[in-house]
Amino acid sequence: MTKTPSSRIGELIAAQRQAQRGRLRIAAAGGTVVAVAATCLLGLSGWFITGAAIAGVAGSAAVQAFNYMMPSATIRLLAILRTGARYIERVAGHEAALKALARLRPQLFDALASAPPAQALALSSGEASARLVQDVDAVQTLFVRLSAPWALGAGAVSAAFLAGMASPLAGLMLLLAMGLSAAGSVLIARRLAAPAGREVQIATGRLKDRLASLEAVSPELKAYGLDRWAASEAAHTASGLDRAQIALSQAGGWMAAWQATVTGLAVAAVVPATLGASLPMTALAALAAVMGIEAAAGLVGALQQNGAAVEAARRLDALASAPSLASSPAPSEASLVLSADGVQMAPPMRLGLIGPSGSGKTTLAERLVGLRDALAHEARLGGLDIAGVAPDDRRPLFAYAAQDIRLIDGTIRDNLLLAGPAEDGALWRALEDAALAERVRADPAGLDARVGPNGERLSGGERRRLGLARAYLRSAPWLVLDEPTEGLDPTTEARVLTALDRRLKHSGQGLIVVSHRPAPTQLCDRVIRVEGIAEDGKVRLTVTRQLAPV
Amino acid sequence: MTSAPITASSPAAWLKQTAAPWRRLTILAGLLAVADVAPAVGFAGGLAMTVATFGSSPLAAVPWLLLAVFSLMARGLIGQAAVVVGARLGRSIKTDVRDRLLADLFGRGGRADDRLTAVVEGVGALDGYVSRFTPLKMAAGLSPLLIIAVAAVASPFSAGIFLFTLLPFIFGMILAGTAAAGESRRQFQALERLSGLFVDRVRALPAILAFDARARTTADIARASDELERRTNRVMRIAFLSSGVLEFFSALAVALIAVYCGFNLLKLLPFPAPETLDLPRAFFVLALAPEVYQPLRRLAAAYHDRQAAESAVPALVTPESPKRDRHILPEEAPAIRFTKVAIAYGEAAPVIADFDLEIRPGQIVALVGASGSGKSSLLHLFLGLSPLTAGEVEVGGARLSEAGDFAGQIAWASQNPIVVPGSLGDNIRLADPSACPGRILVAAGEAGLFGDLDRPIDERGGGLSGGERRRLGLARAILKRAPILLLDEPTANLDPASEEAMLDLIRQATRGRTTLIATHSAAVAAMADRVVRL
Repeated sequence: MTKTPSSRIGELIAAQRQAQRGRLRIAAAGGTVVAVAATCLLGLSGWFITGAAIAGVAGSAAVQAFNYMMPSATIRLLAILRTGARYIERVAGHEAALKALARLRPQLFDALASAPPAQALALSSGEASARLVQDVDAVQTLFVRLSAPWALGAGAVSAAFLAGMASPLAGLMLLLAMGLSAAGSVLIARRLAAPAGREVQIATGRLKDRLASLEAVSPELKAYGLDRWAASEAAHTASGLDRAQIALSQAGGWMAAWQATVTGLAVAAVVPATLGASLPMTALAALAAVMGIEAAAGLVGALQQNGAAVEAARRLDALASAPSLASSPAPSEASLVLSADGVQMAPPMRLGLIGPSGSGKTTLAERLVGLRDALAHEARLGGLDIAGVAPDDRRPLFAYAAQDIRLIDGTIRDNLLLAGPAEDGALWRALEDAALAERVRADPAGLDARVGPNGERLSGGERRRLGLARAYLRSAPWLVLDEPTEGLDPTTEARVLTALDRRLKHSGQGLIVVSHRPAPTQLCDRVIRVEGIAEDGKVRLTVTRQLAPV
Repeated sequence: MTSAPITASSPAAWLKQTAAPWRRLTILAGLLAVADVAPAVGFAGGLAMTVATFGSSPLAAVPWLLLAVFSLMARGLIGQAAVVVGARLGRSIKTDVRDRLLADLFGRGGRADDRLTAVVEGVGALDGYVSRFTPLKMAAGLSPLLIIAVAAVASPFSAGIFLFTLLPFIFGMILAGTAAAGESRRQFQALERLSGLFVDRVRALPAILAFDARARTTADIARASDELERRTNRVMRIAFLSSGVLEFFSALAVALIAVYCGFNLLKLLPFPAPETLDLPRAFFVLALAPEVYQPLRRLAAAYHDRQAAESAVPALVTPESPKRDRHILPEEAPAIRFTKVAIAYGEAAPVIADFDLEIRPGQIVALVGASGSGKSSLLHLFLGLSPLTAGEVEVGGARLSEAGDFAGQIAWASQNPIVVPGSLGDNIRLADPSACPGRILVAAGEAGLFGDLDRPIDERGGGLSGGERRRLGLARAILKRAPILLLDEPTANLDPASEEAMLDLIRQATRGRTTLIATHSAAVAAMADRVVRL
């Protein structure tokens, strides 16, 4: 089911276009009416005044013969029509775009989260937000501008028609001028606007990334007096964005200048071409020329944003085009064999992983629980080679408390419920076993106390224990705890481990605990020492302690 | 949400105050927008005279036709000049505001996802305001009156019609603007929320994946996304409705002028004709008619820029940092005395209260205690990153309450040092940019970093192991000539053997300095001259 990289975002956008086609059609119809009405309004006014002037000069008989009721009524009708149609076009077009974007954002997040772990977890959060908010916004023009060709076409046809009524040559001249206008605009868009628009998108992502990474280390920056340096680093990155934005504005300016020039040329070509026609028709043709070129303005606006939209779509595509794994068999039971060890383990077995820092303990744990792409022949899960088991199928077997606990910016309850729906009683029991219940109870908001972005309102140890409680709430066959008691004082550590032991006996879950502290591994039946990561990427192991199976 | 106090009385006043230093550029941008009137008049005149003379002698029409054509070209060039000046103005003001925000972000510390949004999206919202809205506002005030004055030369009565229709037009603009302001503010907030939600959920992605919470999280995001859609939709509708009303008035006025001029020329006016028109005059006035309202309509179209900027202002205001005298710490290790120190973040209960401690020069003090007992907060006091709510910290002769912080004069190492793209040597040099290669080599050696100092390291710390990252932090602390050394959990997540190796290095680094270590490790505490349990 691998999809070609170019198609995924295109498919999503096409699906949204399909879903919003009613609104988009209304927008196109509105745009068409606006262009025709606007062209006719000014052309007719010019014709009317000129005709009136000639009739007025010619005397009362001519005045009587001059039909002024129809044109003056039509002028008013066109004015109303233009206004109403413009409103409908804008509302329908933007509504379609906004609704489409609102659906695209969660779809893209889902696509990102479903990507292979190496890709999904590589994206920095600033970059991800830039893509899901700004890039999706930039794609908006792909929907809004859908009515532009219709408006352009209708404006062009009606203007050429009006000019052609004065003389066919005038109509032809106007068509040529409109062609010239469009060609020049497209050229400016490709040469100037598109690269600038792309650069704006890229520079915005770069700035967000830079800010996020610098902000993460602010204490050290402050200690060494590097806060100004960091500010100027960020300002330097931001100036790149400013430059790109200026280039984009200027490209827009050139397009407008080109439009004005071509309008002048169109008038200069159309007026002489009406030689021989009546004066009112010359006036009509001249004004139609002005309006015909103006009808192209909508397209020009869309063209200016095109570069940004294309770059945004390209980046979103890189985000969404992650090839999903072909469907693979899911393990039917929870037995685990580490190939370097060869012993089959199954819950309620308790396995300890020890070893020096950087030896690959966490890597191994992340490969098991599906947060890292697994290597072939490294382990077997439910009798299957782990590399053949999709991360989505590995995850249900494990409840994982990572070394680096990630919390969402919400309440204690929100974070616990990430593990799945649960009663308050179960939440409190989990907090109790993680030695965090007292702390939560002491807060007036209790379970509804907010943890802040990144869990900043909690201390490191509290975050760790909240992560532990969250893992307890997930009833998977294996509980995988990475350094569960790091940062805890010995008393709390002892409390946590006693509760863990009790909990495991009760639930029958298996335990895989990664730690360099002696206390957690004392709960284990088997202890394996992780020696390091071999050249082929596999983790090297030696068994250090083997107790009789319970 | 950011709820920084607004120094000026309102967002509008703040914007004005912020743009004040760039007054001349602002006026230039406004004048260029007003200058657009000249080619507009030239084009209308040229076209009117072309039509008027073309019938009798096409050759006589040529100069007028050329006038019309060159007027339009001039219009394009003036427009481009306005874009260039506006863009420069925008860049200048954005740079000003951004520099202040960045100084605050890194100077005051603390986590601030919404402040990151302010630096990118918030500052971006100023661009449209200064480069488009402000010049257009000036043009909207002047250009219609200028055009009406020119029209009065050809037809005073038509000029009267323009003036008369201008009033409801302006009234409509004000009405629409007021209605849209509130909605626009709410829309901006919804956007900030959505942005923050993405940042947060992507950061928590490993947990979301591990707990199979993808579908639930996607549903959360869909809700926030829908809310943004609803808000934006409301703002858009109001904006389009108001611009529709304006367009209607302008179309009506054009129609009114066309009908008046036509009937005047036909001499069929139902009232005594106030003036006698001929074709060039009538055509000239008709061609000018859309131009009267054009500046106001452009302003209305740019109204969204003003709302976006005003909505962004609360996040852009930086608190006035009190002017403080910089205290230079002595070169030799100072004594440090904490007297009745309290630290409280915002409204929350104090993390530290009534804390007393006296440290002799050169002593090593380990701060131990349960997680959350305030060890890191005590260290952050010296950096100005945690608030000294009560009490006093004296370092040598200097008082912290007067100095604010001792940033830039402190050696610091933690478990997660900053890594910048560049070589290992460059990374060490950050602590003291004036250091010569020799000193860097010595510092690296003393921190246990051997081998090639030129090897490249990327921003995410690629090329460094966990242990090497800590040694990099320590090398910086050694390189830095500072009388105080602060260590925040220097050995966390290290196995006992690696920790033992680090301890020797740390002991080296503490020589000749007063040292505070926040730690859980018994081994680290054992190394200290004194252990303080919090």
